[in-house]
Amino acid sequence: MLIYILRRLLVMIPVTILISIIGFIIIQAPPGDFVSSYIAGLEAQGDIIEPELIDSLRARYGLGEPIYVQYFKWVSSFIEGDLGYSMIYREPVVDIIAQRLPSSFTISLLSLILVFVIGIPIGILSATKQYSLADYSFTVVGFLGVATPNFLLALVGLWLLFKWTGTVAIGLYSPEMQNAPFGLAKFLDLVGHIWLPALIVGTAGTAELIRTMRANLLDELPKQYVTVARARGVKPTKLLYKYPLRIAINPVISTVGWLLPVLVEGEVLVSLVLGLPTIAPVLLDSLMQQDMFLATSIIMILGILTLVGTLLSDILLAIVDPRIRGAV
Amino acid sequence: MTEIQSGGTAIDEMAPSTEGMNGSLLSVRDLQTHFFSREGVVKAVDGVSFDIKPGEILGIAGESGCGKSVTSQSILRILPKNGKIVGGEILFQNEDRLIDLATEDADGRVLRDIRGKDIAMIFQEPMSAFSPVHTVGDQIIETIRIHQEVSKEEAHDQAIEMLRRVGMPNPARNIDEYTFNLSGGMRQRAMVALSLSCRPKLLIADEPTTAVDVTIQAQMLELLRDIQADLGMAIIMITHDLGVIAELTDRVMIMYLGKEVEHGTVEDVFHRPQHPYTRGLLASIPKMEPGRVEIEPIEGVVPNPYAMPSGCKFHTRCPDFIEGVCERHEPPLTAVARGHEVSCFLYGGREALE
Repeated sequence: MLIYILRRLLVMIPVTILISIIGFIIIQAPPGDFVSSYIAGLEAQGDIIEPELIDSLRARYGLGEPIYVQYFKWVSSFIEGDLGYSMIYREPVVDIIAQRLPSSFTISLLSLILVFVIGIPIGILSATKQYSLADYSFTVVGFLGVATPNFLLALVGLWLLFKWTGTVAIGLYSPEMQNAPFGLAKFLDLVGHIWLPALIVGTAGTAELIRTMRANLLDELPKQYVTVARARGVKPTKLLYKYPLRIAINPVISTVGWLLPVLVEGEVLVSLVLGLPTIAPVLLDSLMQQDMFLATSIIMILGILTLVGTLLSDILLAIVDPRIRGAV
Repeated sequence: MTEIQSGGTAIDEMAPSTEGMNGSLLSVRDLQTHFFSREGVVKAVDGVSFDIKPGEILGIAGESGCGKSVTSQSILRILPKNGKIVGGEILFQNEDRLIDLATEDADGRVLRDIRGKDIAMIFQEPMSAFSPVHTVGDQIIETIRIHQEVSKEEAHDQAIEMLRRVGMPNPARNIDEYTFNLSGGMRQRAMVALSLSCRPKLLIADEPTTAVDVTIQAQMLELLRDIQADLGMAIIMITHDLGVIAELTDRVMIMYLGKEVEHGTVEDVFHRPQHPYTRGLLASIPKMEPGRVEIEPIEGVVPNPYAMPSGCKFHTRCPDFIEGVCERHEPPLTAVARGHEVSCFLYGGREALE
């Protein structure tokens, strides 16, 4: 098992390098570079740019040099922790990410928990009471959940909340709490705000999980080991939880890991609509304005998240499923 | 209802003496199990009766779809959701209590207590009979602890003892193995150990030799015979393989489309088969004699289960079909010798039709 994890960690190194190369090339692909768009932006505002600044920027990031030189310059500073400078925000990339990643993670984690807490029990109910009224109702709700775009749900949510309570659920904090030091009051304010985005971001995932859970369990229920357990006198509830559910849930566990990056980037539109200080809108901005260091850094982080998530899933799966454990 | 006299291998000291049961451990009387689906009703078991005494080995034979497996699932009440017992009794003599398994709640206390403890079952596919994510020992120990008030350690020891008894090569290690690590023969043995873990009074073996190759099949039959001699439980052997029946059982019941067509001792049925279907089945077994390679299959095909023939179910394929009788009336069971009964108009029953 330990050897397996070490081997997997080793494999992650070349994959990470590959992600960085591909990410870098794609971001570099459009004509022009960030310095020219930076200058254009400044000039449009009537600022005068000192040529020394331009030159020092170009020299620092090796602009104008062959792409592989640029890549190596970028990579070596990336490894040292210098993620570069954002042109749009005029801040070091590290600072922007440090400000926004925590709220992204909080929302994602919360919605992941909501997805499981809501999705799994409903999936089980749908499978064990197949073709019942409840099953049909959840099927309809589930399809609606998969089919409705999240940003629309966000809009509807905003409107309903405003209609019923008169609050405008924009952002993660109330305006008066925005700059308050973090404490109990601010935490409660956060709790009051965060549930809506978490719920909305998780809707599609929940709906999908209901379908997956239902299908997996329906596959397992008629299997012979269930009948055999029944024929041995196992109680009906234990019969469900110990055997078929245990196996039906394995594919779900194997997707937990890569759900994380999906949730981080999947909330772009929701974040825009709800004005959330998360990482996704920043990624969108940076891509649109060729803010190369910001964009590549976020893409690298998402890539590494995916790799780590997949590894975590595989380890989890090996822990719960002896068939996988035997093969690793 | 039929009372069958046993071939004499019953272990009498185990037999409880209760009136009506005639010393039987299990008495299935006019059992009817039907399956309900959108296409219609399938009468998978349609009026089957048999008795089994403690320590006796009964064979139930017939082609696929004749209702032999459904009969065994009815006894343990582990039918699929759309299957229902619509008539008859399944009387089980449990110590001094007589229980009708057909009318008990399928997942209620009474049946759960009987399952795995008093009546256990061996299934066709040992690979899928065990949960793939639990060890063999986990499931054996679980069964022991459901039915006996013993500590984990004690159950563990009992499980190892049972694995040793069924001939597992290294019980102390095998108990912690998963089925996918075991060979086909060992899986079968583990399955037998699982079903015997609480020393049942009745063991139902549902096609235990169908999914394995011939050598393992032979080992399996030997094992069952040994264990039976050792623990003295009754066995219902369900198979389509008449060779297995001849090898192992005392008495045999032949089924066709949910009906019993003939029953008697193995001697009677194999040497003096009466029903045209039984004769056909026996004729369709490949012979080992040199120079004679011909097999005589039964003409025709098994009818569509949703459109069962009227009268005698076998009349559409019967070489001895009596026109005007067989397609109109159901033949009653007629005794042709002591303990040997046939349901066929060739042997009587026509007088009763006005």
